[in-house]
Order: sequence, then C-alpha cells, then structure tokens
Amino acid sequence: MITQRLLNALGGKVLWVAAILLVIAVLVPASNLLLPVGHPLRVPNYMVALLGKYLTYAMLALALDLVWGYVGILSLGHGAFFALGGYAMGMYLMRQIGDRGVYANPNLPDFMVFLNWSELPWYWWGFGNFWFAMLMVMVVPGLLAFVFGWFAFRSRVTGVYLSIITQAMTYALMLSFFRNDMGFGGNNGLTDFKDILGHPVQASATRATLFAVTAIALAAALLVCSAITRSKLGKVMVAVRDAESRTRFIGYRPEYVKLFAFVVSAITAGIAGALYVPQVGIINPGEFAPANSIEVVVWTAIGGRGTLYGPIIGAVLVNYAKTWFTGAYPELWLFALGGLFVAVTLFLPKGIVGTVGDWRTRWRDRRAISAAKIAPSGTDDSSDPPKVVRARSADPAAPLGASKPQPAE
Amino acid sequence: MFSLSDTPLWPAAFRAVRMFVLSLLAALLLLAPARAQSVEDLVRQLPEGSFSDRAAVVSQLAATGDARLVSLLEALAAGDLNVVEETGAVVTLSGRGDPLDATDALTGEGVGEVAKASVERIRVNNSLRRAVRAAIGQLTVMSPNRNTRLSAAGAMFQAADPENIPLLDEAIAQEDDDGVRRAMEEARAASMLRTEASADDFAAAVDVIAARGGRASLGILTSALPAASDEARPAIEAGIRAIENRLALLNVAQNVWYGISLGSVLLLAAIGLAITFGVMGVINMAHGEMVMIGAYTTFVVQNVIRVSFPGLFDWSLAIALPAAFLVTGLIGIAIERGIIRWLYGRPLETLLATWGLSLIIQQAVRSIFGASNREVGNPSWMSGSFDFYGIAITWNRFWIVLFALAVFAILLVVMKRTSLGLQMRAVTQNRRMASSMGIRTPWVDALTFGLGSGIAGLAGVALSQIDNVSPNLGQGYIIDSFMVVVFGGVGNLWGTLVGALTLGVVNKFLEPYAGAVLAKIFVLVFIILFIQKRPRGLFALKGRAVEA
Amino acid sequence: MPRTDTMLYLDGVSVAFDGFRAINNLSLVLDKGEMRAIIGPNGAGKTTMMDIITGKTRPDTGEVFFDGTIDLTRHDEADIAMLGIGRKFQKPTVFESHTVEDNLLLALKGKRSIFPTLFHRRSTLEEDRIGEILAVIRLEERRHDLAENLSHGQKQWLEIGMLLAQDPKLLLVDEPVAGMTDAETAETARLLRDIAKTHSVIVVEHDMHFVRELDVKVTCLHEGSVLSEGSLDFVSADERVVEVYLGR
Repeated sequence: MITQRLLNALGGKVLWVAAILLVIAVLVPASNLLLPVGHPLRVPNYMVALLGKYLTYAMLALALDLVWGYVGILSLGHGAFFALGGYAMGMYLMRQIGDRGVYANPNLPDFMVFLNWSELPWYWWGFGNFWFAMLMVMVVPGLLAFVFGWFAFRSRVTGVYLSIITQAMTYALMLSFFRNDMGFGGNNGLTDFKDILGHPVQASATRATLFAVTAIALAAALLVCSAITRSKLGKVMVAVRDAESRTRFIGYRPEYVKLFAFVVSAITAGIAGALYVPQVGIINPGEFAPANSIEVVVWTAIGGRGTLYGPIIGAVLVNYAKTWFTGAYPELWLFALGGLFVAVTLFLPKGIVGTVGDWRTRWRDRRAISAAKIAPSGTDDSSDPPKVVRARSADPAAPLGASKPQPAE
Repeated sequence: MFSLSDTPLWPAAFRAVRMFVLSLLAALLLLAPARAQSVEDLVRQLPEGSFSDRAAVVSQLAATGDARLVSLLEALAAGDLNVVEETGAVVTLSGRGDPLDATDALTGEGVGEVAKASVERIRVNNSLRRAVRAAIGQLTVMSPNRNTRLSAAGAMFQAADPENIPLLDEAIAQEDDDGVRRAMEEARAASMLRTEASADDFAAAVDVIAARGGRASLGILTSALPAASDEARPAIEAGIRAIENRLALLNVAQNVWYGISLGSVLLLAAIGLAITFGVMGVINMAHGEMVMIGAYTTFVVQNVIRVSFPGLFDWSLAIALPAAFLVTGLIGIAIERGIIRWLYGRPLETLLATWGLSLIIQQAVRSIFGASNREVGNPSWMSGSFDFYGIAITWNRFWIVLFALAVFAILLVVMKRTSLGLQMRAVTQNRRMASSMGIRTPWVDALTFGLGSGIAGLAGVALSQIDNVSPNLGQGYIIDSFMVVVFGGVGNLWGTLVGALTLGVVNKFLEPYAGAVLAKIFVLVFIILFIQKRPRGLFALKGRAVEA
Repeated sequence: MPRTDTMLYLDGVSVAFDGFRAINNLSLVLDKGEMRAIIGPNGAGKTTMMDIITGKTRPDTGEVFFDGTIDLTRHDEADIAMLGIGRKFQKPTVFESHTVEDNLLLALKGKRSIFPTLFHRRSTLEEDRIGEILAVIRLEERRHDLAENLSHGQKQWLEIGMLLAQDPKLLLVDEPVAGMTDAETAETARLLRDIAKTHSVIVVEHDMHFVRELDVKVTCLHEGSVLSEGSLDFVSADERVVEVYLGR
C-alpha cells in the first residue's frame, strides 16, 4: 500500500536520526572510557559533558517542535518546563549531599541552614527517593502545562497572545525562583552536587553513563514524537495548526488536541532539564529567563520546524556555534545569534531541513519532468503517481513556513 | 520594572527638614557675633552673686535673644551647669570618674578634661528656675523670629512637658501668626495630656491632637491612653481612630500616587508598542531597545552640552526629546523597510526577527558605550521633591507623569485629527480596502512603525531620569509593556492608558503586603488569568475585521 | 407540525452585533429528509444563520432545535458536529497541508477524542468508504496530492466529500458552486440531489440556475428574517422578493 510506504518514508528519516543517536550513545562513552588519555580518537571529558548538554538542548528543541511545528503553538516559555524538570532533579541531587555540605546538616541543604530554617519544607519531601524525583521531573512540568493549557486553550487564546502569556509565565516563575523564601536556593539555585544513585557526579564513568542515557532518551523522545505525529492525532494536530476552527466543525476539540501536545511537550522538556542538571552541575533561576526560551525557538526554527529531527540538528549547530563564539569572539556572539534570528525568519522560513528538502524536491521535479519527456507513459494508474507528488506528499506535516496563514472561514 | 525602586520619600522629607533646621541655626549663629562679647560676659556672671542677682542676669541673657542660650539655660535649670574655678568658664560635664570631659555650655565645644575638684556646680533654687524658664520661653516661643517660635513649638510638642503649659499659654495669648499659634496649641495639648487635667480640658486637647494628625500625634495619643481616666478614654480612642483613618487615607493617596507614577512609566514604555501592535499587528520585541536608544541619545546630548555649552544643561532634556524621537523614529523606519515588511501576516516570525534585532542592538550599544551604566544627569528642575497635602512628590516623577499624559494626549490628537492618523485607522480596520482606496499602505506602515519607535525614544529620554542607562534598560520594560497592551486591549489607546495606570496602581497596592517581587508575580498571574477571561483585553475592538 | 418531527426548528431567533440586528425574529422549519434552498441578498443573515445552527454564534433570543429534541444553543461547535450537523463553508476550507485522502480520513465518522485518535488504525471499512467518496467527488486521481494544490472547484468538492465522510444527518452547504464552471455546477446539483435522498440538506446559494436545478422548496431571507417561502416560481413571483433583489 502506497500510503504505508509513504509513512514509512517519513518515519525513515526519524529512524535514521534515532539510530545515529544510539550509535553515539555507545561510541562517545566508549571512546572516552576505553581509549587512553591523549589518544587522537578519545573524546575528552569536557567534550562528553558538552555534547551531553547539547543533546539535552536538542531534546528541548524537539519538545518545542511538537507544539510549534505541529500544532502552531509558539511557546515562549518552554524553558520553564525544562527548568522545572531540572529543579526536580536538582532537589534529588541536593538531598544526596546529606551531611557533606558546608554546614554538615544531614537533613537540610546548606542554603536552608543559612536561612535558619529548622526543617525541610513539605515540597521537598520525597525528593530523597530517586523514583519520586523522576516522577516529579515529569509530573511538575506536565501539571503546569496542563493547568496553563487548560485555561488558555479553552478560552481560545491563540497566536501571539498565547506566546506573550507563555513568556509572562516563565518570567513570573523566574521572579519566584529568585526569591529566597521559595526554598529553592534563590539566586544561587541548586549546586555542589555529589552523588547520583550512589555514583559521584564528577566521575568520568558517571558522566559517560549520563551521556549515554541522554542520547538514548533523546532517541526515544524522537520516536515517541514521531509516532504521535504520524498517527491520526498527528494529522489532527496539523489540521488544528492550519485551520483550527474548521476542525471544530468536523467534531474535533482543538483545545484538547493542543492540551495533549502541550503536556507531552512539557514532559519531554522536563526530562531534558532533568538530564541537563547533573551534566552541568547546577540549576538556577536564570534558566527561566525569557531570553532562554526564545533562544530555543531559534534552534527549532533554524533546524526546520515540523520535522522533529530538524530541531535536533538546529540545537546542536547553534549551541556548537555558541561555544565556539564565546570562546573565540565573545563580543560577537549576540550579533551572530541576533543575525540568525533575522536571517532564519527572512531567508530560511523552513529551516535547514526544509530548505534542503525543497532543493531535493526541485531536483527530483526536474528529473521527473525530463524522464516524462523521454518516456511519456500516459498511464493514469493511481498506484504509481509521478515522483514529484510522492515527494511532496511524503511530508504531510512539512514545515509550512507559515507562508500562508489560512483563516478558517 | 514594577520593582523600580521609587526614591524613598520619607527619608527625603526628613532630610529636607534637617536641612531647614540646620540652615536656621546657621542663620542664628550669623547674628550672634555682634553681641557675642556681652553674651559671654553675662554667662560668666551666672555663677556669681545672690539668686536674685543671677535671676537678673538670666533675664538680661534672655534679652539678647541668642538661641545658643536655650540649651545652656536648660542645663542651668537642671543643675547641670558647672563653673571651672580657675578660668571662670561655664561648662557642662560628661563622662565618669575623675577627670571629667568638659564642654563649653554656650558654644557646645569640648574644652578638654577637668579635675572634679576644680569645678563647682552652679546652684539653682526655685525662683531662679522660674526665671530660667521664662527666659527660655522668651528666647524661643516668644522670639521675634517666626521660624524660631515655630521650631520651639515643635520641640515642645515633642517634649510634651507639662511644665511648658504656662509658658505656652502666655505665648499663645500674644501670638498673631495663625500657623505658629496652631503649633503652640498642639504643643500645649500634647503637654496637657500628660497632666491630671479636667475631663473637658483633656477632651479639648485630644481634639487638637487628633486634628493635627500624623504618626507623632498617634504616638502621643496612644501613650496617653493607658494612664487616662475612664471618662477621658473614649475621646482618646476616637482621636486615635480619626488619626488612623486619616493616615490610612494618606497612605492610600500615597500609594495611588506611586501607582500613577509607575503607571505613567508603563504607559510611556507601552504606548509606542500599542501603536505598532494595534495598528500593524506587529510584535516588536526590539521596542525596549528603542527605549534604550532614546536614553542613550539623552546621554550623548548631555555630553555634548557638558563639553560645549555648559550653560544649556537645564535644557538638555528639551533638546534630547526631538533628537531621540528622530533617531529612534528613523531606526524604526529602517527596521520596517528592511525586515518587517517582508513578514506581514506572520506575527510569530516578526516576533522572532525583532527579538534577534534587539540582541544585535543591545550588543551594538554595549560595544559603543560599554556594558556599564552611563550617568545621565537630572536638570535642576527635575531634582528634589515637594510636599502635596502630606504626600511627598519628587519632581522627576511628577514631570514624568505629566510628560506621559502629554505624549498620550498628543498621540490621541495625531490619531484622531491628522490625515496620517486617519490613514492608520483605515489600515487597521481593513488593510485591503484602505489600499484599494488609494492609501499607500506601505508608506503608512513605515510611518506608523517610525511613530511607534519614536515614542519609544521619547520614553527613553524620560526613563533616563529614573532608571540606570545601560544596554539592558529596554529588556526590563518589554514584558511589562506587552502586559499593558494585552491587558488594555490591542488597538485602543485608551485601553493602554487604563491598562498602564491600573497595573501601576495595583502593583503599588500589593507591594506593601507582598513585597515588590511577589507583587509583580501576582500582577503577571492576574494578567495571565485575565487573558483567559477576555482574550482581547479590556477595551477590545469588536467586529469581523479583528478576527482575521 | 409538532417540533419533534422536524430536523431543524428555529423559532423567533434574533441576534445582534453591536446593535446591528443580523438575525431578526427568524423562524424556519426543516423536515426530516428535506432539502431546502435559501436565497437572499448580501447581508440577509444567511451565514449568521448557519453560524447559529453550528454553534459558532449564540442567539440572543429564540429556540434552535435539532432532530426535534436537541437544543443547539446549549452545545458548542464540536458537540454539534458530533450530533450530526455538517457544514461546508462559503470559502472552501480544507486542510491544505494534508493530502486529499487525509482530509477525508480526518472527516470520516468516528471517535474524536484524544486517545482513540492517537491509537487509531485505519480499517478496511474506512479504506473502502474513502475510496467511495473519492469516486463520488471525482478526486480519485488526486488522492495523494496536497489539498493546497487543488483548483478552487476541486476544493469545493473535497469539502463536500468531507461532509459525506462525516455522514451527518443535516448538511449545511454554503454557496457550493461559487467559482465553478457551468458543467461543474450542474454536476454539483446532481450530487446534492443525490445526497438529499438520504440526508436533510440546507443549501445557501445565489446562483438561481443552480437553485432551479435543485428543484426544492426555497426560503428567501431579508434583513434577518424570512421574506418569502415556497417553490422557486412562487418566491420569484413574490413582489417583495423582486423589490429586494432589484432594489427600490
């Protein structure tokens, strides 16, 4: 069946990227741990942490793509879900410090001792358990997304209004977490972690494992998102993106479709944040900064939204560029990033992946036309449409570049 | 920006009072030298002679009107005055043991240590004390100088010493300045409350104090309450309530003012955004940077003035206003022509592109002017504060409120009365129709964006007076500005005005209970919830055109 | 006729936007299995009436009942669609970045809630139904094309196809032949008559030739209420209708 083949083709690229991620998940830690220091093929320790960080960012961009690329919700507050997941993980790591803190208090993290708190606030209960913390990594961002989305989507807040209030949401959270009274370490956040599941966080074996887990989690998230977008619900999501009120008139409830995507996306972002924290060793309220969330948007946009794997490429590329720039020409980085925003929106609305896809389509187009000239088949057998058609329809959710906003009526 | 710290007004007011008192004293000291010789001679005569001789000396002293004598005489009455036998110097002593630290009783200057044995206390009896008290009264509440009398009355109010009552009675009888008399009556009432006066006198005193109002009066009444007799108690309690109500009212008024002040800042920052967002549907994330450029323009203008035309400094803001409007307006037009016009109908993309632009502008300003704060001076007419029915108002805030309202009014006129405004409104309501009727929509778009940016520049000039001028200046305002526009309703200037003032006032009312940060969080959460209820803001445009 | 026997029952419906009365005391009854053509000049309230029936606009006053007993004013768009009212818009609205086939698949009758949709697997029954509809709307060859690449007329037909896929009890069809050639118009009329054999249909249309081809009872709306009702000949002979159409 041709449709089946088409769907497989769509999944195909995603499967490739997932496979590459799994290979990386094995190769990078192996090279870091097994090869002797100084070996040309050895991935140095700092590089493992750096790559791990890139992959968590990639996961965050993937999460954003699910809502932005497929449902048209431009969230300017996805950094909030990332940070909440990070805080949940950070709280577990803080509890693992035990009495090895500066104040050697077995029950309270240092900053609480410093604030003269006598006991652990209730919302810290349970975070000593790994499983509980991991549950919270997903529940807290998911719940926030659910509550926020429930209100926003039901009241039909859309477009830039939604973007602005998501930004307000992360801004309000940032201000809250900056407060010492909140009990999350205020300005300094959570840091000085020692152990994760009994293994020292700084040890290269732990770092290598964390990297592998991150790569595998990213691959899994990619596959899950791909499965969602390839399902019928995925098609409804795209329908909602393009003509929201039309979907209503054939009986779907766009608010629930959006809510579903938003919650799944928030949970993915939360997991990314949880993987981020042990690898960089700190989480602080700066992660909630609106600017961070907007940066995620540019990763997604540059990679190609509505493609799932595009944002992964975008996140890694942009962050590699950031690392390089801040090392070589720190004062030029913001020019470069700002220029990227402008250039992508003006010249690359479909991102790298979409643009490359366009080139390929055009190339095939030309080939198909010349082939048709050579051997006009004259058949109208619908099981064998011209190649150009297949190529176009191979990407039902292809990045639109929003070139034609389509009012519903 | 809700957290923008207002200049604390109470300390400012306090400073002003202190300045006043100090200058008053200085003026009195300037008068002194002419008679200094005789005053000092008289003081030296104090330890000598009989009590009645010395009483005569005291009244002669009172006749000199030298204000320094007040503390000397008070020390004398209290028996704290000593004479150094060797030199005849009249001093007060402090410290413990032997020797003691001596201070010249007249000048208040330290004169070194003296052995206990070498000084002798100047003795006083009741008749001398009466003379001393009369002299003090004459020097203060009966001084020919109005300000001296006023401050003396104020001091007596603070002291609330029942012994002052006869003196005050006398002073009140001959006082012909209403303000001073009221101050004296208040001082008398305060003193009265410390006595076992009759219930009627007591009630009258309470009334006077309650009428005076203020925290000090409240303190006096509260401290009088425990000792008061049962029949006096209700009057005092009523007085306390009256004062508290008035204080609460004043507090409300003060908060309203702070709120209006904050609201006007929000209005300035948001109103340009309201135009670009409302008329063009363009989300300009670089709006804050336009504000920042306006502030830096002020900095440059002031620098040029400092170097070349120092005499014009007080005019620097007036010169900076058109300069900032032009600079930011032109940059705005350039942005519209260069970037935004390619993105019409794609608001989310516009948002991203302008955000990128804001990063570039910030970094450019950082490269040119440095990352640190730049000093922008306040012209003299923007400095200091004044008192308005008990509310201290700083001049810079006052002018900014006026300025914001003026900008708003001018903008209203532009939108309602000029052909540009008419065309803008036509384009807002139906772009295609407007364009087919011969309105050059691209031109209107460019000018509208230029206007919005230019107003941001004006806001920058104003904000340079109350905020740090740094490359991050704009970022602090952008989210709040959006909140104002979204809350007020897009495409409606009045909505922006009401939105800005409401958010400003609400924020300032929450602050005392929740603190600045929490207040701001509450406001954000409130707006997020509000948008759910009214997705198009307070004053939404209605009709089909908006839906598209 | 008792309300319970009707497909659609509007009584005394009024709605105003900012003081402008778009619908003014409108009463309209559609029998089960009936097809009705609605005509009227611009601004007569045709689209607003559709909006009210499909839950997009709430009436200020009046009753709107579907299938005799269901009060439509208490339901929202998605509910109403699931109750069995399908709508084709004046301006064709299809999901442009989906293929023709996926457009039909999304419209196909079935569960609309999140998880059944997420785990949906296409059955052969659905496969067959899509094939049938594609044959009816003559888009078999465009099956895998993106809807955005269809011509205007084809989009109109795709939308009608989506209506068929929904299999509603009542179809609201707003200007189905706008922008069609004469041949396409005739074809559409044939298609609608076909549909009307098994469904109740309301067609809003300006094109009098088309309305004549439908050969059904006609309601003429003017300024938000019914001006005239009856056969096309009767209505077009009505002086008031002539006046409204020709202007005074």
